[in-house]
Amino acid sequence: MMDRSDDRLDERLKQAAQDYNRPPETPRDAIWARIAAERQRRAARRVIELKPWARWMLAAAALLLLGIGIGRWTAGPPGPPPGTPRVATADVTDSDVAYDVVATQYLSRTEAFLTGFRADLRAGRTDTRFAGQARDLLTTTRLLLDSPAAEDQHLRVLLEDLELVLVQISQLEAGRNSPDADLITQGMDQRNVLPKLRSAIPAGPVPVRTQGVT
Amino acid sequence: MDERDLINRVRAGDGAAERALYDAHVDRVYRLAYRLAGDDALAQDFTQETFIRAFERLGAFRGESALSTWLHAITTSVVLNGLRKVKRFRQREADLDDAHGVSGARREAEPDLKVRLNRAIDALPEGYRTVFVMHDVEGYTHEEIGAALGVETGTSKAQLSRARAKLREALADFAGEWVS
Repeated sequence: MMDRSDDRLDERLKQAAQDYNRPPETPRDAIWARIAAERQRRAARRVIELKPWARWMLAAAALLLLGIGIGRWTAGPPGPPPGTPRVATADVTDSDVAYDVVATQYLSRTEAFLTGFRADLRAGRTDTRFAGQARDLLTTTRLLLDSPAAEDQHLRVLLEDLELVLVQISQLEAGRNSPDADLITQGMDQRNVLPKLRSAIPAGPVPVRTQGVT
Repeated sequence: MDERDLINRVRAGDGAAERALYDAHVDRVYRLAYRLAGDDALAQDFTQETFIRAFERLGAFRGESALSTWLHAITTSVVLNGLRKVKRFRQREADLDDAHGVSGARREAEPDLKVRLNRAIDALPEGYRTVFVMHDVEGYTHEEIGAALGVETGTSKAQLSRARAKLREALADFAGEWVS
């Protein structure tokens, strides 16, 4: 319950409170200048910043265009007449350049894998690591066999040989060495898989990996 | 110029009208921002943000309340959110109990009672302090405060009453001098 002394005290408090955070004169022009600058900055930012839904739409449109581009690229003009694997030639059409990059990476990795596999086999080592790597390469092999790359007869034969070898390696069980593994290496030797593989890889550095060749 | 005309001109992109609207309201906005923030840089920041938002949202202003009321609602929102964000509230740890416990010896050593009052105001809960500053310091009506804070007029009155009671408690040891 308030009494008269409370009222008088409130009045005194109110008077004293007039000095509470007493503001200076308003810096009108300074604040106006800041407002103008900030609005200009935000307007400029809005020009380049899209709303989230717009960003998604733009990304989807870009992806669609990319897909169309890749489709046209990979379904480009037919390759040169069969003779040698395309990766070893100097054919310079756009689609062949793209294909060469992927195929060269794949062949280089497969060559390194088979060389390592043989070396380890000779040293008496086999493990599940080989089977796993072979399965990965097998996936890429089959993708290439189903692609326009396989129109090249020499490369198709090589890919089929590699598919067979990789299937065999992928089925190897850890610790089960000799007979199966020896049969694989014998088959590789009989078909000259590694020499053919090495001749199909163009000289020079291996291109940077651009697709999911693992 | 009529306020409605001014608003329409601002909506149409008239820069001079924007400046006129700003000039008409900036003092009150800045004063409230400064009173609540106690800091010129913050007060300028809050004033700037208030007008930027106002210009951006003026298209949605339907004129159901006075422009000043609408503007003060933006101001209090900007200021209170800003103060929370930057943690600049002057929460000096001398709370009301401490203020109560000041001895006579300390009182003599403290020359300015207004410093005590300022501390006591700073120590008020946010809602009490806002209403006290708006009403008793800046002269807003309870209707204006209610509209700005989005509360009932009765709530504003109740908060002012509690704020004053807290301050009386905090400064009780000076009451005899002040009311004599």
